[in-house]
Amino acid sequence: MLMVAPAFLHALIWIGIPVIAAFVLSFTNYDVLTQPRFTGIQNYVDALTDPVFRRGMVNTLVYAFFTVPVAMGIALLIALMLDTQLRARALFRTAVFIPQVTATIAVALVWLWIYDPRNGLLNAVLGFFGIPAQNWLSSTTWAMPSVIVVGIWQGIGLKMLIYLAALQSLPKDVYEAASVDGASKTRQFFSITLPLLKPATFFVFVTSVISAFQAFDLIYILTDGGPANTTTMMTYEIYKSAFREFRVGYACAQSIILFVFLLLLTLANRRLNGGDSGRH
Amino acid sequence: MAGIDLTATSPRTSLDVVGRSPASRRRLSRAALYVALSVIAVVMVVPFVWMVLTSLKTPADIAASPPTFLPTEWAWGNYADALAAAPFLTYARNSLVIAVSHTTINLLVASMAGYALARLRFRGSELVFLGFVAALMIPTYTKIIPEFLIVRFMPLFGGNDILGQGGTGWLDTWWALIVPGAVTPFAVFLFRQFYLDLPVELEEAARLDGVSELGIWARIMTPLVKPAFITVGLLTFESSWNNFLWPLLVTRTDSMRVIQVGLSVFRTENDTQWAFLMAGTTLATLPMVVLFLLGQKYFVRGFANAGIK
Repeated sequence: MLMVAPAFLHALIWIGIPVIAAFVLSFTNYDVLTQPRFTGIQNYVDALTDPVFRRGMVNTLVYAFFTVPVAMGIALLIALMLDTQLRARALFRTAVFIPQVTATIAVALVWLWIYDPRNGLLNAVLGFFGIPAQNWLSSTTWAMPSVIVVGIWQGIGLKMLIYLAALQSLPKDVYEAASVDGASKTRQFFSITLPLLKPATFFVFVTSVISAFQAFDLIYILTDGGPANTTTMMTYEIYKSAFREFRVGYACAQSIILFVFLLLLTLANRRLNGGDSGRH
Repeated sequence: MAGIDLTATSPRTSLDVVGRSPASRRRLSRAALYVALSVIAVVMVVPFVWMVLTSLKTPADIAASPPTFLPTEWAWGNYADALAAAPFLTYARNSLVIAVSHTTINLLVASMAGYALARLRFRGSELVFLGFVAALMIPTYTKIIPEFLIVRFMPLFGGNDILGQGGTGWLDTWWALIVPGAVTPFAVFLFRQFYLDLPVELEEAARLDGVSELGIWARIMTPLVKPAFITVGLLTFESSWNNFLWPLLVTRTDSMRVIQVGLSVFRTENDTQWAFLMAGTTLATLPMVVLFLLGQKYFVRGFANAGIK
């Protein structure tokens, strides 16, 4: 059909072919200047045994743990607080959501300034409470938590918004019946609200995992993967291999590993969430 | 929630002999709720306030340790100076051109495709739809390296021969900045959802009247899904304006840089000029915040729809 053709061709050229090319190149040694040379699974072996890339995988998982399940819990809590007859609800919702629509680069630059060890806002506020100043982004202890805080801060709005929309579409009569039967608020939450939120949870989880695994801009501005690789991510290693070291085949293998990670997490979540409850 | 309404309307009963009435307890918990939400709202908003305040501080205020919250002297001139220090307006113009192009192309191409996939049966339509769903799942980083290679080796562009050798292809051109990201599978998917909800009768009546398929799409169905256009348009514009890695990879010269890349370059080249950097960041952030406040309803609907369905 002609009407799908432009979109289909576009997807074929800029998504279909690149994915296949990435897969093929991942089995080669390629530096852009000379012809690719077939090397079998060597790139995968190299990637999985490279301590820095392994560090990147661990860091990505840690970052994803805090910016997905943990942040989802916080987001649900905020959504529950907003799902009441508050007069200022729209105002709160807007406040929480604004970081989501601002560019990660802009957000990262602002936080870079907030974390500034000498003149930053954070040390000033903590100093007011008598807490000693820290070199947030250049400390091997604090760099990762500092990055995670920004990740949660920026992503929480979207998660909250989807939960709030889902909460507001829940059938009211179920709760009335449960109240009449004497079910407590906590009981109602765990046996009615949470199960009914499954589709929303699935959607939030999948989209958040995808964006958590692709965190790049934050790292690029805040830490450049340092100090001592404590904040490097899979994406950052892919970028470094391909565009700083020109090891294109190797970078493609790393990018396929990232893809497999995401695929497994999505499938596992679908399984856990019970069959096709998350189908759109 | 219904439960809250029940306690609110029920008269005081003997169960409340313990002390506080439900009404006052409710007022108390409501106050606690407001306090908690206000703290959260402050945490969410303060970085933006700090950004704007920093952009209006003098070098002396910036260097103060501990910093003062408000500028001791409002340096409105920072904005003019920042624009003189780096071509932020050129960056912003480039970003605008790209974002408008992406939005226009995506709305046109994706809505056509979404309509065809929702409404028309043709050979392989199921397969094409599955293809788009699969494309949704592909992480940026799995396709970005070959995308870069395609752009770099684009035949007959930028001094390249027919085999794509010898020159720089699409690098540092509008082509590279606009074409690869112009149509998103997400938009196709979202449009399909919206077109699916329309009644079949309309379409059939038009077909009986001899209106062409293209005409049905353009004149009959599309006016009915205006909210979809606003939603997809806003989301496309936002992600295009905020995009960083792709423009970073494909641009070399200052005149082709987009605002996000320009900011990051300005930061590395002028390490300590926080006031100017925050002025630039404010300029980069403002359009999105204004757009969001104006189209909040559609942003919310776009995200929420995808989440519930």
